[in-house]
Amino acid sequence: MTNSMSKAVEVLKSFNPFVEEIDDREIKISLSNDKVISALDVLKSIGFSHLSLITCVDWIDDNQFELVYILFNWEDGGKILVSTRIDRSNPKFITVKELWPVARFYEREIHEFFGIEFEGNDDMRPLFLELWDEKPPMRKDFDPSKYSKEKFPDRKYEKDVIKEAKIFRGEING
Amino acid sequence: MGEVKLFFGPNHPGMHGNFSVHMYVEGDIVKRARPLPGFLHRGFEKLMERRYWLSNLALIPRICVPEPDINEACYAMGIEKIAKLDVPERAQWIRMIVLELARMANHLSAIGGVGGPIGLYTASHWGTADRDRILDIFEALTGARVYHMYIIPGGVRKNMTPQIEEMIWKVMDYIESRLDDYENLIFKNRILHSRLKGRLVLTREQALEMGVTGVGIRATGVEYDIRKVDPYLFYDKVEFEVPTATDADAFSRVYLKFKELSQSIKIIRQALEKMPQSDKVNVPISKGSALRHVVPKGMAYAHIESARGEFGFFVVSDGKNKPYRVAVRGASYPQGLYGIEKYLPGTRIEDVALWLATMDVCAPEIDR
Repeated sequence: MTNSMSKAVEVLKSFNPFVEEIDDREIKISLSNDKVISALDVLKSIGFSHLSLITCVDWIDDNQFELVYILFNWEDGGKILVSTRIDRSNPKFITVKELWPVARFYEREIHEFFGIEFEGNDDMRPLFLELWDEKPPMRKDFDPSKYSKEKFPDRKYEKDVIKEAKIFRGEING
Repeated sequence: MGEVKLFFGPNHPGMHGNFSVHMYVEGDIVKRARPLPGFLHRGFEKLMERRYWLSNLALIPRICVPEPDINEACYAMGIEKIAKLDVPERAQWIRMIVLELARMANHLSAIGGVGGPIGLYTASHWGTADRDRILDIFEALTGARVYHMYIIPGGVRKNMTPQIEEMIWKVMDYIESRLDDYENLIFKNRILHSRLKGRLVLTREQALEMGVTGVGIRATGVEYDIRKVDPYLFYDKVEFEVPTATDADAFSRVYLKFKELSQSIKIIRQALEKMPQSDKVNVPISKGSALRHVVPKGMAYAHIESARGEFGFFVVSDGKNKPYRVAVRGASYPQGLYGIEKYLPGTRIEDVALWLATMDVCAPEIDR
């Protein structure tokens, strides 16, 4: 663990974190919902100021979504994955756009692909998809091959190409 | 004068890939701008969940077209982190050489790409022609020019032969000999100066707030480079400098890319010298045939310094033979979406293409 990471673990002790070490310069800190925003605020103030990514994992068997905030420290290269799990049937969380303005777009993307609402972020227009009418596509219960079969059914070719070829070669009479 | 709505893209010569910006202009000045990504959305992250760990290799290079090797490298490094694999030493050196060659190819085409929007077409022709020499190396090494599928989890696909090493030495000498010409003809050119100097300034505070990485932040005088701060592969065993500038304008961003070319040459030469001879260049990620490989449960984030900034893969495994979730951090996500909305207002119409070119906005990695 780098210095900044051990400091972060030390500072976050009061938040009851569950810390896993992924490698020398990367740890995962799991927190309960209500502590995430203040933990991110603290981490930002002690050097983890770069937000690499906000992403989401759909744990359908546990009926939970896991939100992962990946923070990076430019001083000594420490990476912290701050993770929290939210209820899958009523997915709601709080925006971090006040801390990192670019988070607006990550949250918009997660809303589009997983259907999670972010309180405080009211710009939830579709970003990548156009005229989407199904459930959010990155959820595990969305089946893309079924969707494309329904939406874009197979075409049947009326012409019998093989028969035409045989006629052309003179193998059978047309 | 009333406000007029103009469309930039989705097809535009100043832009690689399809990306659209809706500009609301008064006269020549952009008043508001709205990025509209999604033209290249192919659902890579979903597709990856439905394929085997190794089948994905054929898919992921397509996430970023100008520099495909970074995708393979991040994906492989993510898996190796979860599975705690030890990659053979020679494979790591070869990876470094491939990544630096890819960076050079990307920078050369980026220098060429700036030539388009400003009307200095020599830059385009030279950049493209010299990039082709690097693609020749890739063809010899991997069998493909653009999508190499060469870096695999556990190492690299094939060993590098002495003939290819010889070829790389020669091409490096050639490109180094061209650098003075580039400097004199392109970077001292008045067209380039008058179009780029002092334009599209992004200050250090703005860049840090936005989370811009790569030349965007280094042009503001900060030495932020993941190769130095969070060294992966053997970047801590080679000597190189991180070029910075203080003007924070479009010119310094392009000029830094040019400066990085000579650093990449330096890294490649050191790697070729230090690389040990060995036949072992890959290890399997688990037992059995390649399509039945499983990765133990876990999650990891692997990032590297691509030509455009921090590029990363977040990989989650549930212990089965397919990834549970893969998320891609595109290097140009902040400047391509938030940056356009916030910092394009106030600039001139013709500078919009320059923002996209000098900030390296890469549509396929934003849309994925």
